[in-house]
Amino acid sequence: MSACSASPFRNNSRGRLVAARLSVSISLLFAGLMNLSLAQATKATAAPTTCATCHAGAAAHYATAPMRHAMEAQGANPQLVAHPTLTTQIGSYSYSVQTKNGQSTYTVSDGTGSMTLPIRWIFGQHSQTWVFEKDGHLYESLVSYFPRDNTLSITPGDQKVTPKNLTEAMGRELSVWESRSCFNCHATGIVPGEKMTLEKLTPGLDCARCHDGARQHMTDAAHDNFTTLPKSLRRMDAEEVSNFCGQCHRTWDTVVRNHWHGPAFVRFQPYRLGNSKCFIGNDKRISCLACHDPHQQVNHDQSYYDSKCLACHAAPKGAGASAAAIKTCSVATKNCTTCHMPKVELPGGHAQFTDHQIRIARAGDPYPN
Amino acid sequence: MFVAPISTAITKRILLQMRQIQVSVASRLAAVCMPPLLLSALLCSSPVQAHAQESASSFDDLAGRAAAARDQGNIPLAVELYGKAEQLKPDWAEGWFYLGMLQYEGNQFPQAIEAFNHLLQLQPTAVPAMALRGLCEFETSAYGDSLRDLEEAVAHGAANEPRNAQIIRFHLAQLLAHAGRFQDALDQYKFFATQKVDAPDLLLGVGLAGLRVTTFPKDAPATDREVYQAAGEAGYAILADESERGDELFRQLFAHYPTAPNLHLFYGFLLFPHDPTLSIDEFRTETILVPTNETAHAMLAFTLVIAGRYTEAQPEAEHAYTVSPDMELAQLALGRTLAETGDVKRGTELLNQVLQRDPNNLEAHLGLVSIYSRSGRREDAYRERVLCLSLPK
Repeated sequence: MSACSASPFRNNSRGRLVAARLSVSISLLFAGLMNLSLAQATKATAAPTTCATCHAGAAAHYATAPMRHAMEAQGANPQLVAHPTLTTQIGSYSYSVQTKNGQSTYTVSDGTGSMTLPIRWIFGQHSQTWVFEKDGHLYESLVSYFPRDNTLSITPGDQKVTPKNLTEAMGRELSVWESRSCFNCHATGIVPGEKMTLEKLTPGLDCARCHDGARQHMTDAAHDNFTTLPKSLRRMDAEEVSNFCGQCHRTWDTVVRNHWHGPAFVRFQPYRLGNSKCFIGNDKRISCLACHDPHQQVNHDQSYYDSKCLACHAAPKGAGASAAAIKTCSVATKNCTTCHMPKVELPGGHAQFTDHQIRIARAGDPYPN
Repeated sequence: MFVAPISTAITKRILLQMRQIQVSVASRLAAVCMPPLLLSALLCSSPVQAHAQESASSFDDLAGRAAAARDQGNIPLAVELYGKAEQLKPDWAEGWFYLGMLQYEGNQFPQAIEAFNHLLQLQPTAVPAMALRGLCEFETSAYGDSLRDLEEAVAHGAANEPRNAQIIRFHLAQLLAHAGRFQDALDQYKFFATQKVDAPDLLLGVGLAGLRVTTFPKDAPATDREVYQAAGEAGYAILADESERGDELFRQLFAHYPTAPNLHLFYGFLLFPHDPTLSIDEFRTETILVPTNETAHAMLAFTLVIAGRYTEAQPEAEHAYTVSPDMELAQLALGRTLAETGDVKRGTELLNQVLQRDPNNLEAHLGLVSIYSRSGRREDAYRERVLCLSLPK
């Protein structure tokens, strides 16, 4: 199986592009027939130009993709609505998250006093951490919600925090840079070199967050100018893709520079993938995009991933193929990830992450750092 | 309240702080150097027993009187008696320590250095003595020796004791800045910031290190003290994790001193550990304000490399390397940018050039990982990755 055909993303993407181009061509054709430009045609229909104007398929899929919902603004959140009262006790502090009428509040009490704040931003689509605003400062909630165990518990990374008062028990104050860093990966609209303005941010990642230049392209396209295309991400090799996705999911370099070790960092997939013996930067079959389409929901079908592994590890066919050059599995040809990409419990995270360090993982083997 | 340690007041403070060291060191050294039973055994078996007993008796007498004089605060007498005792028994480490301490207290710095030299010959790992010698050397303007001693003393835990940490680290920070090791100096100053220690000379020191001035705070010209102090205050706020205040202070500084050299570089260095990409604009502004600032060019190139913006990094890296071909940062930045933008051969050469001098240089190895990975050299890439993961912090 070729690298291209191994990736439905590429197929889908290509398909969508073809469809988009076709759509544009058809629009132009009709516009030409009617002696109207695309811009005039758009204006005529009074529909605002968006990415979906031309990339309807991708936009429709992406509307429900995890990255689109990496952050939500305050308001009705399905998980919080489904669990309108969440409580926990941590040390001498009790916590309560109440949701009613589409609004969620977060309360911390120490027995003698309490503090209640509205949840301003919800980070994460599954496990949730909240960000509050108090006295002009931003705070990360000291407890988060973990749906697997349906529990409130200490936010990962904050286990060593020992609150000395209600404010510290409520959350950890974020520096201007840390908050910028958080919002930069969970929202869209941060402008390099400019102060972050929360009101100008769009929750979650919209098209422009990854497709740099998309807005200019959209503006120009509305005037029938298709020369200012965003940089093509599909031409990037596996190493470049890892570094691109690693801007938020952490690159191999970043983790190594920071000397991060241990299962807490299993969630940084580009780093774990880079540790794999089979990872090589010039082979797109091992790129993040070979298995994941960021415009789509995460695929949980094992067989889907089997085909990705077999793109490299299938037994050679034909007399010309070199069996020696291909490592095949002597145990099975399906459910590859169960042995080669085991699930790892994130310490304090009440969730398991797929370890992207591809290897032969035997029962009882220690987590490879 | 921390006060500038060059003053008399701080000298007294050192003594107060060092008293705890004295007790522990004295008892430790006594235990190591003068095991009483061993000493007795040696004396009993000696062929010159009578003379030895006389000497021992005389030595014990002197040592006792020296200690008494010290306890009574009669420093000149104590110094004299310790000196005599050391003439009788030059391998008496405890005596050298007290002699050095007392001479230091009396501002007899060259003599104190001599005493600590004797002690350190006997006990090369007597860390408190090393720290004290470093402080004495600072007072005699033997800055190179002082830096060596204080740095080694800190590396061996001399600053772990909270009451000694301030005095040692403040001197060390000044010496590091004086030696042009500005980032190392700021690392030392960060200790004070996180402890919320406040003192004008401290802010001045931070400002000098931040603006890359090798002058000691005590020698800072009056005309420039204001900008150093203000820069120190802004830098100190950031080192203390008061990000919003620090950010605001720097903005005010930029407005007030729009052309002050190294100001944007300083801010860039402070932002770098939080998020390297945030420092890019600061380094770039510095290169515009002061086009000859090669550190700013190299940092800009290197930071762009970290951000993966290799095409942008290349001209900056070329510039830095052309002007300062021996600057490691310039070699790393240019090596990586060349490799990532197509000139793999020259890029690899530059990165290997760094590794010849510094085989454990992580950035050079990271560059090689990328080169090997992107060119399909799977085994080499994997080997380099394993090596990177095993490099010391």
